[in-house]
Amino acid sequence: MPKSVLIVDDHPGFRASARRMLEASGYAVVGEAADGEAAIAAAGSLAPDLVLLDVQLPDIDGFEVAARLRGLDRAPEVVLTSSRDRADFGDAVAESPARGFIAKSELSGQALAELVG
Amino acid sequence: MSGLRRALVALGVLAFLLGILSAALVMTSDHASPRGLLLALVLAAGWSFAFTGLYAWDRRPGNSIGPLMTAAGFTWFFQALTASNNAWVFAIGILGQTLPFAILVHLLVSFPSGRLRTRLQAVAVSLAYLATGPLQLVWALFTDPTAQADCDGCPENPVLIGGAEGVAEAVNAIQVLGGCASIALAIWILYRNWRRSSATERRVLTPVLATGGTAFTILLMQLIVGELGASEAFKQVTFIASVAIFACLPFAFLLGLLRSRIGRAEEVSSALSAENEQLTAELEAKVEELRASRHRIVEAGYAERRRVERDLHDGAQQRLMALTMTLRLAREKLDADPAASAELLDEAMEELGAATAELREFARGIHPVVLSDRGLGAALSGLAERSPVPVEIAAAPAERLPTPVESAAYFVVAESLTNVARYAGAELATVRVERRNGALEVEVRDDGEGGADPESGTGLRGLADRVAALDGSLTVHSPDGGGTTVEARIPCA
Repeated sequence: MPKSVLIVDDHPGFRASARRMLEASGYAVVGEAADGEAAIAAAGSLAPDLVLLDVQLPDIDGFEVAARLRGLDRAPEVVLTSSRDRADFGDAVAESPARGFIAKSELSGQALAELVG
Repeated sequence: MSGLRRALVALGVLAFLLGILSAALVMTSDHASPRGLLLALVLAAGWSFAFTGLYAWDRRPGNSIGPLMTAAGFTWFFQALTASNNAWVFAIGILGQTLPFAILVHLLVSFPSGRLRTRLQAVAVSLAYLATGPLQLVWALFTDPTAQADCDGCPENPVLIGGAEGVAEAVNAIQVLGGCASIALAIWILYRNWRRSSATERRVLTPVLATGGTAFTILLMQLIVGELGASEAFKQVTFIASVAIFACLPFAFLLGLLRSRIGRAEEVSSALSAENEQLTAELEAKVEELRASRHRIVEAGYAERRRVERDLHDGAQQRLMALTMTLRLAREKLDADPAASAELLDEAMEELGAATAELREFARGIHPVVLSDRGLGAALSGLAERSPVPVEIAAAPAERLPTPVESAAYFVVAESLTNVARYAGAELATVRVERRNGALEVEVRDDGEGGADPESGTGLRGLADRVAALDGSLTVHSPDGGGTTVEARIPCA
């Protein structure tokens, strides 16, 4: 059974491309969210296996969202992504409960699989 | 040496000679008593008044205190004439001997300007001159000095109108009354002047008032006590006191007069200092305004960089990210599904076209190339073309202007048109940019709703700072329902 994925990003263009890429790589995209609060609500109701989470969101940032997702009953695995480099966020990525970070320019099914299996 | 100074020196010499003559008259007098004290009074008061008066006259030629002091000095010598054994000289001495007191009243109430300003001052001075001038003449006509108790050996009065002793006494009583009234008025005037004067003015008045007040008191005592009859010892003491005080008085006048000049200098200095303080305050306000505007410009610079970063991040970068993913997918599908791959490549090209357009627009927002290449007129036409609200360019300069001026004018129009499109609900905007009176005048007017608050947005505020940095000004008129007019005036010689 393919892993279910929730895509969280405020840019619809990116969400569409990511959905196509993930589906082509064998993931089941179960939902999309454009901001942090919507992401937490969707994760609660959809209970995805994986959340592909943009760091910069219009309301709360991705690290905060990741921490709150961790508190859900069925906490999903979280992979952070951004058009910025990992280094732009300092220690924040390492300190976050997220599984890892993939820059958007390197985002692919294979990169994701290497991180979450 | 000026004509005035020559005259003053001549008067000085005359005063000196009169002093010598006085000494001769007093020392050879058959009746003057006590001679030493009389001579001391005449010389001390006469010379000191005359010389300090001449000095004051020289220093302050426009002020009549100097001439009055000189006159007081010369009239003191009448006292010496009363020592003369010659009847006519003696008579002239009697006529003039009280004049210095009237001049003294005149000096004191008119000090330090030398002018009589109030009716009360004029009354006090008139009374003094009346008592010592005309009344003294009348008194002299009816007085027989040889019959006076304290005038042993005095010459006979050559102009005596005999047989009317009562007249002399009556006139003398009027004189004493008039003199006392005049002195009392003068004291009251001096006291009032003192009460009303500022600290600086008091510095001028104090020496004169202190000495003059004392002199008047002694004079009053002499007048009253003389009428009541007093012991010789008392008369001697008051006489010596009056010699001392009258010798001091001219120096008090001189000191006060010179202080009034210093006082005036202090007033000028104080006025300058006040003006200086005001200028300093204005300058500080200007510096504060500059500091605030510099701070805002730096802030605006940071804000602009943040906006550039965010725009790049949200716009072109996101499109390029999506493009990367699309291309990567296309490559993955190239062998297995060439048709799907071709479709993805088409999509990628479309995305690339959109990203390119966005970057172009973005670059124009940072600096419009058309502005530097072809000038303000062409750049404004470009703005008008791209505006969603129809724009009429009513006037635009054909010639090139300094880059900062062109740039500021361009961004005023660009920001104003952006606001028109976003908020005004207008159907037409009119842009007028003209060079007039050494400045570039920019006006953007719309027919929209009005009611814009220039303070609320950062855009107009930033523009105002940008214009102010070029010593220009920016104003916004936006009455409710009356459209909005943005006007900028940028100096441009």
